Amino acid sequence: MSAFTGTGTLVRFVLRRDRIRLTVWVLALVGTVVATIPALNDMFSTDAQRQARAALMDTPTGIVFGGPGYGLDDYQLGPMIVNELTMSMLIALAVMSILHVVRHTRAEEESGRAELLRANVLGASAQMTAALVTVSLVNLLIGGLTTLVLVGNGLDAADSVAYGLGLALAGVSFGAIAAVCAQIVEHGRSAAGLAFLSIGALFMFRVVGDMAEDGGNALSWLSPFAWGQQTRVFDDLRWWPLTLYAALIVVLFALTYALARRRDLGAGLVASRPGPAGAGRLLGNTFALHLHQQRGAVLAWTAATFLFALSFGSLATEVEGMLEENPDLMAMVSDAAEDATEGFLGVMGGYVLMAASAYAAVSVLRTRTEETSGRAELTLSTAVGRVRWFGNALLVSVLSSALIVVMGGLGMGLSASAALGDSSWTWTMIGAALAQLPVALLFAALTALLVGAAPRLIPLVWAWLGYSLLASMFGDLLGLDEWLLNLSAFELLPKLPSEEFDAVPVAIALGAVLAVSAVALAGFRRRDLATV
Amino acid sequence: MPSTAIEVRGVDKYFGRFQALDKLDLTVHTGEVAGFLGPNGSGKSTTIRVLLGLLRADAGSVGLLGGDPWRDAVTLHRRLAYVPGDVTLWPNLTGGQAIDLLGRLRGGLDPARKKDLLARFELDPTKKARTYSKGNRQKVALVAALSSEAELLILDEPTSGLDPLMESVFTECVLEAKAQGRTVLLSSHILSEVEKLCDTVTIIRKGRSVESGTLDDLRHLTRSTVRATIDGDAGALEGVEGVHNLRTDGDTVTFDVDNIHMDAAMRTLTGLGIRSLVSNPPSLEELFMRHYGDELAALNGHGNGSTAA
Repeated sequence: MSAFTGTGTLVRFVLRRDRIRLTVWVLALVGTVVATIPALNDMFSTDAQRQARAALMDTPTGIVFGGPGYGLDDYQLGPMIVNELTMSMLIALAVMSILHVVRHTRAEEESGRAELLRANVLGASAQMTAALVTVSLVNLLIGGLTTLVLVGNGLDAADSVAYGLGLALAGVSFGAIAAVCAQIVEHGRSAAGLAFLSIGALFMFRVVGDMAEDGGNALSWLSPFAWGQQTRVFDDLRWWPLTLYAALIVVLFALTYALARRRDLGAGLVASRPGPAGAGRLLGNTFALHLHQQRGAVLAWTAATFLFALSFGSLATEVEGMLEENPDLMAMVSDAAEDATEGFLGVMGGYVLMAASAYAAVSVLRTRTEETSGRAELTLSTAVGRVRWFGNALLVSVLSSALIVVMGGLGMGLSASAALGDSSWTWTMIGAALAQLPVALLFAALTALLVGAAPRLIPLVWAWLGYSLLASMFGDLLGLDEWLLNLSAFELLPKLPSEEFDAVPVAIALGAVLAVSAVALAGFRRRDLATV
Repeated sequence: MPSTAIEVRGVDKYFGRFQALDKLDLTVHTGEVAGFLGPNGSGKSTTIRVLLGLLRADAGSVGLLGGDPWRDAVTLHRRLAYVPGDVTLWPNLTGGQAIDLLGRLRGGLDPARKKDLLARFELDPTKKARTYSKGNRQKVALVAALSSEAELLILDEPTSGLDPLMESVFTECVLEAKAQGRTVLLSSHILSEVEKLCDTVTIIRKGRSVESGTLDDLRHLTRSTVRATIDGDAGALEGVEGVHNLRTDGDTVTFDVDNIHMDAAMRTLTGLGIRSLVSNPPSLEELFMRHYGDELAALNGHGNGSTAA
């Protein structure tokens, strides 16, 4: 019996078990490609429209969600697909591949099902191999179908193959990263978390690298997110960047097997250590409990926002040059901006606010998880009042989002100060970020309102948050009407430093936060607790 | 201190159109161990959540330790400890942290008793809750509840994840709590457990209390099984009032008899020349089966179909 005995059977089993899940992923992703092409053709039907669009893809936001910007000079269908579609496809492939690999490796071990299987005639590496084989198959299928769709739309065959192959290999690389993570930690959730964190960092490498230099710098080349577009597909095709994927995949697969050989079934390389036998002095009330539950997440969100802000703030000078060359563009990035730097920093401050708002909602929503899991029942059976428990959760959300906002402002301020050689930017940016904080608090209060008074309507918060994100990030690019744009939460308050601070809307927003919070607490006190 | 720890009268509770509790009554006197018996889905946990003020009763009155649990939840909760049927803990807290936290939220716990209980339940308090089995999570909640100073313990199927050894530790602990003068409400569908521990029993079915009283009271209402070896003809027992299921096998006769007609049955039996006699009081199981027998019959009739409860 070799280490791989039974792999074939397991591959069929995985495909059988996930036939619906994988079919949905394939249909959704290939369907996106199919649907995007006519949409792009419709939206940008003339050369003038396409070139205007290309100019927008060369802005910071365009680079974040587009790429290094190959083919913008002659923005026809091929380059449009590469620039408009690639990042969403890669992110979706990353999510799919990570979840798939973790689900069939670490999560299986954790549940004990792996033990059941391994007790049979099954090689030690069979499950890992089956997970890697199936994730590769699915990615290649999606890549292959994408190629067919592109060829079917009359695009060059060689370029189409390169594009599809690039997507597929990137997906397999993400799966391989997840496989390594699954060896390191003991729990499926932690493995997926570690993989998402690594891939998030790789995404940021590409963003920062691509933004620092046209076509990307060395930092971009560290990221598998970059290599596909670095083939200059539909522009000036070169195949060799794809070999980087092959090399990465071989290295990661080898690493996975090497790590797997060194550990027992169910164990991680990093073993869970025993924790304290009793609670510390501080863990004695519900505020401390909420904070304890969220500290990891708060630190991660804050650190990510700070680093994001730091990296964007440092671009302040370069952006000025970039925008000054193109006055039309500058007007679109920020109509009100008197100078490009302020406008750019205002837009980037918006991203900080988006992170804080999303976390504010996520944080309050944890109370719902506490409730539906039954933990709230246990807590509230003690001498803890509902208002106190729920109010403390809201308070933790408010403080965490304030921390994210301040650290985001600080990050942007520090690097802008350094780049522009003027230390006053630090305080300017912290102030600018704080001036927008009421929007994040509004999301905390609204989430609390729905959790407290109408749990069934919780998706409404996500709907508004999602709409606001899309409208504020892409509204200008999509040419959204003014009033539609103003429905975005992130347009409620003036964007400092390019816009003037105005106390009236801020005061109204804060008043609304207080009023909504009060109704939320009253609602939570009066309703039945959800039962398991 | 009122002599009644729990006083539930005519409580209704609806979830949408589904009626979970139907004019439910439940009385628990101070210092007694009260069994609350019913199959899954009969409304035991719902009743307990109403008692804890986590759910609001749609009708009827609920008294707990002399107060209203919906209105005075916090004050009342200082005086009670609760162990849910399905304990979920914070995955990233250790068992020891969870025990201390619950104790502090409740208003303090006895560290010596906690240490003793951890040893008796063989619980490792340094493990993260996400690694605990169901039984271990239950032990965490039990240790937290039992090491508190609470005068009322509300335990919802507390042994459903414990092995037999731990069940007997649990039994000891409940008896100790009773000796300390605490009141215990023990919901269960394990009959032997209730029979071993409880002074009174309330049987609940489809949200309605169908039987309640001391075990003796309940036994009085029902039948005993009698088996005797006799010289005479067992036919004489036929037609005696209160005798059911008469079966003869050679000179051995077996029958059930209503306890109130025991005297007449015994007189008849004596006349038949008894050589040996065994009489078993009804077990709680039989009491229980009387109220759920039809469901069981329906189940058997429909193969392994769904239950009505």
